[in-house]
Parts: sequence; C-alpha cells; structure tokens
Amino acid sequence: MDRNQRDDAYRYGCLPDRAPLAAAYVPMQCSAVPAYEPGEALSRGTLFPGLDLPFMNIVNSNLKSTPMTEMMAIDFVADELELYLDTHSDDAEAFAMYQTFLALQKEARERYVQLYGPVTQTDMLGMRDYAWLNNPWPWDFQPKMEV
Amino acid sequence: MFVYEKKLQYPVRIKNTNPALAKFIISQYGGPDGELGASLRYLSQRYSMPYPELKALLTDIGTEELGHLEMIGAIVHQLTRSMTPEEIKKAGFETYFVDRTAGVYPTAASGFPWSAASMAVKGDVIADLNEDLAAEQKARVTYDNILRLSDDPDVNDVIRYLREREIVHYQRFGEGLRRTLEKLDQKNIYAVNPAFDR
Repeated sequence: MDRNQRDDAYRYGCLPDRAPLAAAYVPMQCSAVPAYEPGEALSRGTLFPGLDLPFMNIVNSNLKSTPMTEMMAIDFVADELELYLDTHSDDAEAFAMYQTFLALQKEARERYVQLYGPVTQTDMLGMRDYAWLNNPWPWDFQPKMEV
Repeated sequence: MFVYEKKLQYPVRIKNTNPALAKFIISQYGGPDGELGASLRYLSQRYSMPYPELKALLTDIGTEELGHLEMIGAIVHQLTRSMTPEEIKKAGFETYFVDRTAGVYPTAASGFPWSAASMAVKGDVIADLNEDLAAEQKARVTYDNILRLSDDPDVNDVIRYLREREIVHYQRFGEGLRRTLEKLDQKNIYAVNPAFDR
C-alpha cells in the first residue's frame, strides 16, 4: 500500500440510505482494496488498512521471514479473505484475490512440508516414515530453536 | 469435521519464563471473555443461524477462535517453562501451581474455572449477533488491559495480533447483522424469528 496515499476513503464504510429503527448498524466495508502485503498483514493482524486500529498506536514490526512465517502469512490472507467473502460473496475482485491466494497457499504449504514435515496428516502421502511425530509441536519453543 | 493443522496462526516465541504474566494471561484461555468461550459461543450459535452467510461466518470465526485458544495456551505454556520453586513463590503463582503444576487449565485469572455461564446461545439471529458484537468488544478490552500490564515484548506482539483480530471480527459480525436486517420484513424486523417461525 502506498503510505503517502492522501485518500483515506478506505477508513470509512457504507451505511444504508434508510434503515429500520431499533437495530444496530455497522458500516459495510466497501472493498477488499487497499490491502497489505501478506507479511505486513500477518504482523498487523489484519489484511485491511481500514480495520487496522492499534492500541496506543503501537504496531508489531514485521516478522522475520522463514518458510514457516511465509506459510502463515499466506494462510492468514486466505483466512482473512474468507471472512470478508462470507459477508461480500458478490465481490468479484475479492474472489479473484482469494483464488490467487489459494494457489499461493498450495505452493507455500508444499515448500514447508518438504523442509519440515506434515502440517496435516494428509501431507504424509508418499512419505517414508510417520513424520507426524516430528518435533517441534506448535506450542513448544526453545529460545535456541528457529523454524 | 475438524482437521488439525500443526502450526499456529501467528508465531508464539517467548524467550523468558515469567509466571507472573501467565497468572493473568490465562484469563484469555478460560476467562469470561476468553477464546474458549468465544469459539464455543460461535460454534454453538451457528445451528440456529437462518442464512448461509451467517452459518459460514460463525463457523469460520469460531474455528479461528480455536486457533487463538491454542496461541494463548502456547503463551501460558512458554511463560511457565522450567520454573523454579523460587520463581513460583516470587510470582505468587503457587495457588495455581499447587493444583495444576505447569499444566494449562481453562480458568479465569480470578481462579474461577471456565463456565458456560460466560456465554449465551439465544437461538435468535438478532440477539445472538448482538451478543457476538459485545463479546468481541469485551475480548478487545481484555487484550488492552493485558497490554497495560505486560512488559514482555515477545508476549505483547502476540497480544496485539489477537486484539486486532477482535476488531476485524466485530466488523464482520456487524456486516452479518446488516445482511440479516436486509432480509427481514422492513416494516417490522422483529415480526418473526426466521430460525424458528416458518
């Protein structure tokens, strides 16, 4: 995203012209663009600059790029687009973006599995041994260890 | 059906043991506005959601919350890694330790075990989505409060990420409510419960 972009329309959503009383209204997000790059999206916790509202304006610095964080970033963008599409199924541009990320997700997953082992049990098709048991498990982290 | 992915949604890499932080962060594991309650709230409410957009939204957000539960579990696990009895006593962690050792148990920071009384399933789309909007705000505030109390940058990175997810979910639930309101009788949106009255 161009940080010098002066147009801040993406921060605002659309409200209905007329709305029945006695209901709460959240403005609809109008578009899936602008969007952050996958690495920045993962660090910030959202794909969408308009929804990026950090506490005390402190934001995370970008994560170190590894096969794991690259896979996480692409998976994250796909998940974020899924939630957007759940309420915007008629947004063709967002659906095309989603297709692009599903393809990238497949590549990133295969790359990671080759290096570090299965993410789901179906990843073990054709493997020589039962690599599901391989360390590390997601919740284990030793300061010396880096995947 | 659920399939496990052997990865976190966002990395949790905490270098320093610190049971004093684990004592209150565990509230997002099993406290009143924590991730366990969030996932069960959405995954239970979805059965009475009348429209596909909402069935999808509650399934997808409920599933993501299970991933957040796992991240909070990982934070607590790593903060209590190789604790010494001295560290346990100094942190005031002995009241947890004596019952659970360094296990991860769904409890509020107050010591109250996770309770289904902290969530609701009303079986009415407007009531349930309004509950979900409030739930995301309460979880967001809990993360604000954790950021006020924690000085560990490895922990705060993850907490800031989880907090931002609450804001995105709030937006999506609000949009889900908008899609619902559009489908209801515009003269009287409360005329029927579309999940019950046919």
